[in-house]
Amino acid sequence: MSTESHPSRQEPAPLLTVSNLSVSFGADVAVQDVSFTLSAGRALALVGESGSGKSVTARSLLGLSGGTVTAKTLRICGHDGLALRDREWQGIRGNAVSMILQDALTALDPLRPVGREIGDALKVHGSNSRAERHARVIEILQRVHMPDPELRARQRSTELSGGMRQRALIAQALIGNPQVVIADEATTALDSKLAALVLEQLRELKEQGRAVLMISHDLAQVAHLADEIAVMRRGKIVEHGTAARVLEDPQHEYTRTLLRAVPSGIPRFVPLSASSAHAAPAAAAVNAEDPTLALRAHNLGKSFGSHQAVDSVSFELPRGTTLGIVGESGSGKTTTARIVLGLQKPDSGQVQLLGRDFAPGKESERRELRRAMGAIYQNPLGSFDPRYTAGQLLTDALSEGKSKRADGGYRDGVEQLLEQVELDPALASRNPRELSGGQRQRLAIARALAPKPAVLVLDEPVSALDVSIQATVLDLLDRIQQETGTSYLFISHDLSVIEHMSDRVAVMTRGRIVEQADTAQIFGDPQHEYTKSLLSAMPRLR
Amino acid sequence: MSRLSKILAWLFIAFWALTALAPQLIAPGDPLAINPAQAFQAPGSEHVFGTDESGRDIYTRVIHGAGDSLFIGLAATAVGMGLAIVLGTLAAMAPRWLDGIILRVLEALYSIPSLLLALLIIAFTGPGVGPAIIAVGLSTAPGYARLVRSQIRTLKNSEMLEAATVLGRGTWLKIRNHLVPNALKPLLALVTLGIGQAVIWAAALSFLGLGTPPPAPEWGAMLSAGRTYLHLAWWMSLFPGLAIVVVAAGATLIGRALGGKARTI
Repeated sequence: MSTESHPSRQEPAPLLTVSNLSVSFGADVAVQDVSFTLSAGRALALVGESGSGKSVTARSLLGLSGGTVTAKTLRICGHDGLALRDREWQGIRGNAVSMILQDALTALDPLRPVGREIGDALKVHGSNSRAERHARVIEILQRVHMPDPELRARQRSTELSGGMRQRALIAQALIGNPQVVIADEATTALDSKLAALVLEQLRELKEQGRAVLMISHDLAQVAHLADEIAVMRRGKIVEHGTAARVLEDPQHEYTRTLLRAVPSGIPRFVPLSASSAHAAPAAAAVNAEDPTLALRAHNLGKSFGSHQAVDSVSFELPRGTTLGIVGESGSGKTTTARIVLGLQKPDSGQVQLLGRDFAPGKESERRELRRAMGAIYQNPLGSFDPRYTAGQLLTDALSEGKSKRADGGYRDGVEQLLEQVELDPALASRNPRELSGGQRQRLAIARALAPKPAVLVLDEPVSALDVSIQATVLDLLDRIQQETGTSYLFISHDLSVIEHMSDRVAVMTRGRIVEQADTAQIFGDPQHEYTKSLLSAMPRLR
Repeated sequence: MSRLSKILAWLFIAFWALTALAPQLIAPGDPLAINPAQAFQAPGSEHVFGTDESGRDIYTRVIHGAGDSLFIGLAATAVGMGLAIVLGTLAAMAPRWLDGIILRVLEALYSIPSLLLALLIIAFTGPGVGPAIIAVGLSTAPGYARLVRSQIRTLKNSEMLEAATVLGRGTWLKIRNHLVPNALKPLLALVTLGIGQAVIWAAALSFLGLGTPPPAPEWGAMLSAGRTYLHLAWWMSLFPGLAIVVVAAGATLIGRALGGKARTI
C-alpha cells in the first residue's frame, strides 16, 4: 500500500479500471456492464436519477455494494477488487479510496470532539502515538481551510457551523491520504454556498493529483469540476464523454432530458420536462393586474430566546404571481413560512390574506379563511396520516374531515384532483408510502388544491427530488398557476429553482430580507453584497 | 408473525370465542347439575376432567366458565382503555396546569398496586361481576392513560397535525380523525397483553370471593373451591388453573407478536 507517499502527478496508469462491472441483488440487476477508467488528477462524474445504479457502482469500489459483483476487470489502485477479502478491503477503504459522506449532521458523532472523530481512521491502521495523530489531524484540517483548527478539533460537531462540519467531513475522508476520493451526492442537500465550498475542496483535491469520482443527480453541480461525465440510467451508462462534449452536444435522449431539467436561466412557464404537455408560455394567463393582494406580510418578527429568527420581514404577494424567498439554511425562511401559515405566533407584525387579517389571530376566527391558503412541504409523507390511502387523503380534504370513505360522494372530486396533478386515478387505492417521491409531492399538491386556495405556501417543495423529477413537478406547478391563478409563496435554498419559478424574489439572511426585487433584477443586477455572494456560488450550466 | 403462527393465533382466538359464546356446542352438559353419587370422581373416560365435591362435571364447568372469565377480562380492558383514551387525550390537549393535575392523579393511582386498587374499589361497591369489571378496568386505566398521553403529545407536534391545521381542521376533528387512531395503533399489542392480565385479575378477585358468586362456573371461583380438597381431588384446581394459564399465555404471545410488528413498544 502506498498510503504514506503523496500521490504522484505523473502517474500514467489509471487508478481505477472498471470494465463490464455488474452488480445484482438476487434477481435485481442494479448495475450492468459499466466500464470506465479514472486517472490521478482527473474527475469523473456519474450522473443519473435515484435508482440508476450510480451509488451502487461507487460503493462496489469500496467493497460495500452488498450485492453480487461481477466484472471483467476491477482494479483499484493496483489491487484486484474481485479477489479482495474483507480484511483486505479494510486496508483500501480510507487509505487508497475514501468517500465523502453526505450528511454532515448525522455522519459525525455529536458527543465526541471532531478531531478525535477524524483521527479514528489513523488508529485503525496505526502504529502512531496520540501526539502524532493530533498533529496529522491539525495538518489535514489546515488543508481543508478549517478556521482555527486547534480549537475546532477540540469541539464537538454540534458546536460547528454547517460549513465547518462539511470541512470536517472532507478532512475525515482525507486523513488516510487516499488516491481516489468518492463524493456521493456530497453537495445535494446543501445550500448553494456550502455546495460551492465542497466543490472548491474537490477541485483542490483534483489539483493535488488525486482522482475524484463524483456521484450526482444534477448535471449543473458537476459541470465545472468533472473532466468526464458518464450518464447512467437503469444500471447502464447511456452516454460517456468529456464534460464539454456531453453538456454541449448530448447524444442520448436521456442526457438531453437531464440537461433540460436544470431550471436555471429558463424563463418562467417554459416547460423543463418533455412530458409536460402545456403549450407556449408567452401569453401567461396570470392576472397581475388584480389590485387586491393575495398575501401581505408586514414587519414580521420572531425570536427564540436570544436568537432573532425573523426580523422586520415585510413583503407583498400580488394575485396570480409567485414570490420566491431564497436563503441559506437557518436564514429564517421556514419560520417566516410558519408565521404566514399561522402555525407560529409572531412577536410582532401582521399577515393579511386576501385583505383580511390572518395572523396573529385566534384559530377559531381564521378557520374559514384557512381554505384560501394551502401548504406544501419538503417531505410530503410526514404531512399525511399514515393510515390513509391517497384516495382517503383527498376525500378527507374535500369533505373537510367529515369523511374518508373512498366510495362516498367525493369519488368524482378525487378523480378530478388526481387528474389535475397528472396522477393515475388508479393510484387512489394506494398508500402514499408505496408512491415515488415525485408522486407523493403531486398528491400533496392535489390535497392542497382541494379547497381551491388562493395562495399556496411551498416550503422547499422540490428539494428532496431528483432534478428530472423536480422538473416535472415545477412544470405542474406552473400549469396549475396558469390555469387557476393561484399565488405562490415559494421558499427554497436553490437559486436556480427560485429563478425559474418567481416573478419577484426576496433574499433572506439572518432573519432579514436584504434585497427584494423582480427576478430579472435580482439575477441580472444584484445590489446587496450578500445577494452577489450567493449568486457567485450558484452552479450554472448556461 | 410467520404464516403458521398467524394461523395458530386465529385458531386460538376462534376456539375461545366459540367456547365463550356457545359452550353447549363443546360441552353439552349442565354445568350446575349436581350428582352427589358421582362426587370426587378422578379424570377418566366418563368425566375427562373429573368431578367436584357435588359431582358436577369439571370439564363442563371449565368450558362454561370461559364466558364469564373472558367477558370480565375483555370488558375490564375496554373500560380501562376507554377511560385511558379520555384521560390521556384530555391531558395531552389540555393547558399545562390541567395536564399537571391529571398527570399527578394518574401517578398517584399508578403507585398503588393494581390488584390492591381493585380490592379497594370492591370494598366500596361490594362483590359481583359488574364491580369486578369496573375494579379491574379502573386499576389498569392509569398505565394506559399515560401511554395514550405521551403518544398524543408526540403526534400533536407532527407535520401531519400541522397539515391538518393548515387545512382548517378544528380540535375535535383532529382528535377524532388523526390523534386517537394513530395513538392507539401502537397500543394494540399492549392491550392484547392486558387482556391476559385482566383475565388473571378477574380470576384472582373471584378466587377471593369478590367476583362471580358461586355456584356459577368461573375459573377463579372454581380454583378457590378446589383449594379445600387439594389433597384428595387435585383435578378440581388443576383444570380451571390450566385454563387461566392457557388464555393468559396465549393473549401474551399474540400481544408480543403484534408488538414485534408495531416496533413501538
